[in-house]
Amino acid sequence: MKKILSGTLLLGLLLATAALAADQERWLHVSVKKTAPHNENVLVNVPLSLAEKVLPAINVHRLRNGKLMVHHRAMDHVDLRALLEAVRTTRDSEFVTVQSDHQNVRVAKAGGYLLVNVRESRSKKHPREGEPAKPEAPKTVDVRIPFPVVEALLSGDKNELNILAAVRALSAHGDIVLVTVNDKSESARIWIDSKNTGE
Amino acid sequence: MPFSAGFLGGVPAVMLGTVLVGGAALYSAGTVRVAVHEKKPGGTNISLALPAAAVPLALKFVPDRRLQNLPPEMRAFLPAIQIAGRELAGYPDVTLVQVENPHEKVSIVKRGGSLVIDVDSRRETVHVSFPLRIVAAVARDLETSAPAN
Repeated sequence: MKKILSGTLLLGLLLATAALAADQERWLHVSVKKTAPHNENVLVNVPLSLAEKVLPAINVHRLRNGKLMVHHRAMDHVDLRALLEAVRTTRDSEFVTVQSDHQNVRVAKAGGYLLVNVRESRSKKHPREGEPAKPEAPKTVDVRIPFPVVEALLSGDKNELNILAAVRALSAHGDIVLVTVNDKSESARIWIDSKNTGE
Repeated sequence: MPFSAGFLGGVPAVMLGTVLVGGAALYSAGTVRVAVHEKKPGGTNISLALPAAAVPLALKFVPDRRLQNLPPEMRAFLPAIQIAGRELAGYPDVTLVQVENPHEKVSIVKRGGSLVIDVDSRRETVHVSFPLRIVAAVARDLETSAPAN
């Protein structure tokens, strides 16, 4: 009797593990919703494992074998890897803060993520004569990237971004919202989860 | 005599069997469906259903010089299209791309073993569906027709 019960429990555990494994596919979702000049919705759902398989086969322009070549003079004088290592080993804090009349930019590290937050404040472009410019809802951009993904992105040669490695690192991560953009007429979101729908 | 009579009597059975097996093979390979409906009065309505197995075969009748005229940008993506066509069938059904605006609605959906493309605009509706398995085959044939430089 005990043997039968143990066997049943073991079988159930194996089946549950298999079911869990089947559900572990990670999906990249992109959603863009516009209300001006007219309503428009765009939704893209892509399994990350498919992207892993397809990326190495794309060799166009500067994308070769899953790596994006980046050539910029400023990059020649900056050791991004050393910079990233320095950021990674420090405690959570803000690294860059830029404030101006129309825009605030913040780059920070928190909880194992690299955060970039942008706030743009805007005034109504053409106020009536004599009327003060009325502030519009600010445009916000929030980027949240896990550090392992940033490290993977920079794991190639100096002048390249290892997109394939970054996709693999994302696959190993949990559900996350990577990018959020909001303004008066548009909202956009890029996120990863285990659902094959973008809802 | 008895031998030839028996032999001749078996020929129709062999022929029927060949047609049935061939038909089953064609059916199992899936169907390419194309439907276009123009929304204006008296507009054109087109509806096609072709065995998917016929598509790679039909490609063999296209002169190589035509296939070699594929835009380089498209040719560069053929290896990726092969892989996507081969791998996508193993994933659950999903809406890959959906675009909606006041002028049209476009969707690209993986459903069962097929890719389904629907366009609904003010002027017309277009529906195209084809088995994913022929995507890899066609992309491979196009790639081998004239390998990239």
